[in-house]
Amino acid sequence: MLESGVAPMSTESVTGLTQRLYHEARLLDAERFEDWLECMCNDVTYRMELKRRRFRADRSPPAAVGVGVVFNENLARLKLRIDRLRSGFVWAEDPPNFVRRVVSNVEVERADAENEAIVHSVIVIHRNRIDGLTRVLTAGRSDRWRMHADGWKLAAREIALDHAVLPDSNINVFF
Amino acid sequence: MDVSGLVDTATGRQSRAIYSSEELYRQELERIFGRCWLFLVHTSQIPEAGDYFRTFMGEDDVIVIRQKDGTIKAFLNSCTHRGNRICRSDRGNAKAFTCNYHGWSFAPDGSLSAVPLEKEAYFGELDRSRLGLVPVAHVAEYKGLVFGCFDADPPSLEDYLGDAKFFLDVWLDAMPGGTSLVGETQKMVLASNWKLPVENVCGDGYHLGWAHAGAMRAVQSLDLAGLSVGNSSTDLDGGLSVAGLNGHMALTSLDGVSGYAFYPKPKPMLDYLEFNRPQVIERLGKVRGEQLWGSQINITIFPNLQFLPGLNWFRVYHPKGPGQIEQWTWAMVENDMPAEIQAAILDNQCLTFGLAGLFDNDDGDNLAACTEQSRGWRTAQMDVFTNMALNRSGPREGFPGDIAAGLVSEHNQRYFYRRWQEHMQADNWAGVPTYNINSVVAEETIDA
Ligand code: FES
Ligand SMILES: [Fe+2]
Repeated sequence: MLESGVAPMSTESVTGLTQRLYHEARLLDAERFEDWLECMCNDVTYRMELKRRRFRADRSPPAAVGVGVVFNENLARLKLRIDRLRSGFVWAEDPPNFVRRVVSNVEVERADAENEAIVHSVIVIHRNRIDGLTRVLTAGRSDRWRMHADGWKLAAREIALDHAVLPDSNINVFF
Repeated sequence: MDVSGLVDTATGRQSRAIYSSEELYRQELERIFGRCWLFLVHTSQIPEAGDYFRTFMGEDDVIVIRQKDGTIKAFLNSCTHRGNRICRSDRGNAKAFTCNYHGWSFAPDGSLSAVPLEKEAYFGELDRSRLGLVPVAHVAEYKGLVFGCFDADPPSLEDYLGDAKFFLDVWLDAMPGGTSLVGETQKMVLASNWKLPVENVCGDGYHLGWAHAGAMRAVQSLDLAGLSVGNSSTDLDGGLSVAGLNGHMALTSLDGVSGYAFYPKPKPMLDYLEFNRPQVIERLGKVRGEQLWGSQINITIFPNLQFLPGLNWFRVYHPKGPGQIEQWTWAMVENDMPAEIQAAILDNQCLTFGLAGLFDNDDGDNLAACTEQSRGWRTAQMDVFTNMALNRSGPREGFPGDIAAGLVSEHNQRYFYRRWQEHMQADNWAGVPTYNINSVVAEETIDA
């Protein structure tokens, strides 16, 4: 199962991390953003790069200054986004949209550091919006989780959004 | 369809039908997107021979290709055999474009270079010279911005841009190194008529303090022309609404720094501005060097190109029917900026605008709802209004255009709809009026 060929993580770690992902999804569905931030390491990085559609054989060089991002957040920037969502002025979220996250395909691998783990997963965010229409966003995630005294915390998340054109007017949600 | 009653510039009134009528939309594709110069690509996006970029002109899929001799050509992205799409990649570099369907192959100059079984199946009777990709009638560049035009006999690009070049140059020509668009294309679908985001960005300073109050609270680090969170006050001396430029316009503050008002850490950018300002004053003169370069400016090139030096996003809207658009955004930089500043601009642009942009994420639903509220049997018969600050505009020394004071006014929107109406009424370019009102008053007169 593991590409690296090293000994698999203990069942306890796999279960603990999987539960962590489900818990995180439930916190976000309930807009318990402050509790969600408690799941983060202080040095967390949270990134989603822009998508591009290229021929397989294309040899043009990568974008000079960078591909650009949808998210490029640290803890302060996540807080800034949450401040906006909490401001009472985000009309697109009032009345609240019906948002449900489905997390699946969880795969846990050993990381280089003893107290860390690599976790792959798929997330589907189902949003029934104020206009009555439903949008579904799908993304793959590759995380690094770190064991702290009070449990696993997210150290890094790379999100691969599976949409070349965003089928919605905003991403007021976290993945 | 006669649109003379659908827009009234004198009173600032538009019929909601212009946001929902299928018939008017077809007419827009012909008379606006089929006639005006449309932005295709920035030269920085296709630097090398063989580099190509796919875009749209109206609903027509277009591929823009850098040629061996450095010039740029644009073609309809449609096979001349059975019409299939030729290029399916967003951009890249190619020696040839081969159609998926039967394998016809086109060279970057558009010529049909190879046809499978040409001798055996066509008996050598195919005239390949007549079956090259169909070129866009006119392609021209203004200081890095490449435009295309389907019309057979349009004004030159320079004339089309007219006095809007005064504002374009504040980005394109402030520094000697020129400009670039950076990052991949940030694409989103909005259930909006294409005119509503253009109207919003071209002149609607009114919505900033209200629609974006949450975002302003979260990221505002400097004052912006006295605009306050919650729309509780505004300072009319802090900015200008400039229109009358053949349908192009600018909404600008005048302090030379407020472009960076929504950067949580603006210091490096402000240092860059102050260090280079003497040089920019030398290049562009005092008004633009001191008051505009570094200021928050919303620039609109009719019909569907908008960019904001300062917040540094550059955008086109591609119509997809009367009720839908694709909104494409890039980050814009000056090539003389140090790499760290360019990277910080790309990052902040993506934070504030684009897919998860703190500001963009406020606008989409409003625009979509305005569109939807023009589709009903009853609402389609109703009007909407841009009647704020009527008849309070005039010339201003050192600037082109017909100018209203302040960022909060609906002056620019009225000119946008006026231009829309002029194009929709005219059969061809000869019927479209020209009014680069009040070409720039010579700058020497300002201090006098
Ligand atoms: S449609 Fe392109 S080769 Fe036939
Ligand atoms: Fe806005």
